[in-house]
Amino acid sequence: MGASGIRTLSRSLCDILNAVGTSERHGTNIVTLVNFDYRGFDTLGEEYILFAAVIGAVLLMRTHRGEKTSARPGKVSEQPVPLRTDAVALGSRPALGLTLIFGMYVVLHAQLTPGGGFQGGAIIGSATLLLYLGFGYRTWRQVMPTAVLDPVEAFGAGAFVVAGLAAMAAGAPFLTNLLPLGKTGSVISAGEIPLINIAVAIAVSTGFAVLFVEYLEETREPDAGDEE
Amino acid sequence: MTPLQIGLYLLTALSGAAVVLTREPRRQAFMMGLNGLVLALLFLTLQAPDVAYSELAVNMVALPFLFLVTLAAARINQHRRQEDK
Repeated sequence: MGASGIRTLSRSLCDILNAVGTSERHGTNIVTLVNFDYRGFDTLGEEYILFAAVIGAVLLMRTHRGEKTSARPGKVSEQPVPLRTDAVALGSRPALGLTLIFGMYVVLHAQLTPGGGFQGGAIIGSATLLLYLGFGYRTWRQVMPTAVLDPVEAFGAGAFVVAGLAAMAAGAPFLTNLLPLGKTGSVISAGEIPLINIAVAIAVSTGFAVLFVEYLEETREPDAGDEE
Repeated sequence: MTPLQIGLYLLTALSGAAVVLTREPRRQAFMMGLNGLVLALLFLTLQAPDVAYSELAVNMVALPFLFLVTLAAARINQHRRQEDK
């Protein structure tokens, strides 16, 4: 099969999915329907690539540093790292709320408009940086304890597998939809797709947050009094 | 190909080259973020808004941020090692 043959085949696959996707799965974003239903198993693998990458990075850094934390900023050539300016704090605080809401919107409308669990999760995870910029390191670390983030991330990643295994327990192939499809265009529609997207968003956002925490902890001055 | 796409392809090449030609690591991280923004806009014009979101969050925010933190940690730890000697 030549290049033109592959092009024709992929073109006809697109046409088929565009034609039947919405009526079969009651969602309007065909990309999400493919990612979380028709080829949901592939997305499960992709999610675990990210999961494994986060675990690998965290393990490497905790091997070196341990689980202790420090709120004292590190020093570069006897000078403390400069604090953020008031303008940065002022801009970051309102931006934090807006970005969080936007991220949740992207997650909840996965089957309707562009976006989905991964995209929304990445936006929410990145928004936690605005918490750091707007309220400072100490507050940021208090709001996001790694002891809570680690199990929450594992819960999000595990929920996807549970959704797949639930179908097998019911006698259907892995990740077969078990829920009613609902009304096309509603936030609660397309069966399990919104639930799986929320699970992915939980795993991705906390994965990003854990990564940011572990990286930034490397720039802290070790201090015995600050250990948790 | 629309004029908008042609312009964004050119900007992609330009910003990509700028990442390579910038020799100072901190500036390079910012250039990488700019390259991510251009790529996100390109994906948007190519009718792939889902990918544009990922590109925006990962390549424009998360990746440059991790680079900057790594550079800061390297400088702080270098100083700490010198202090230990």
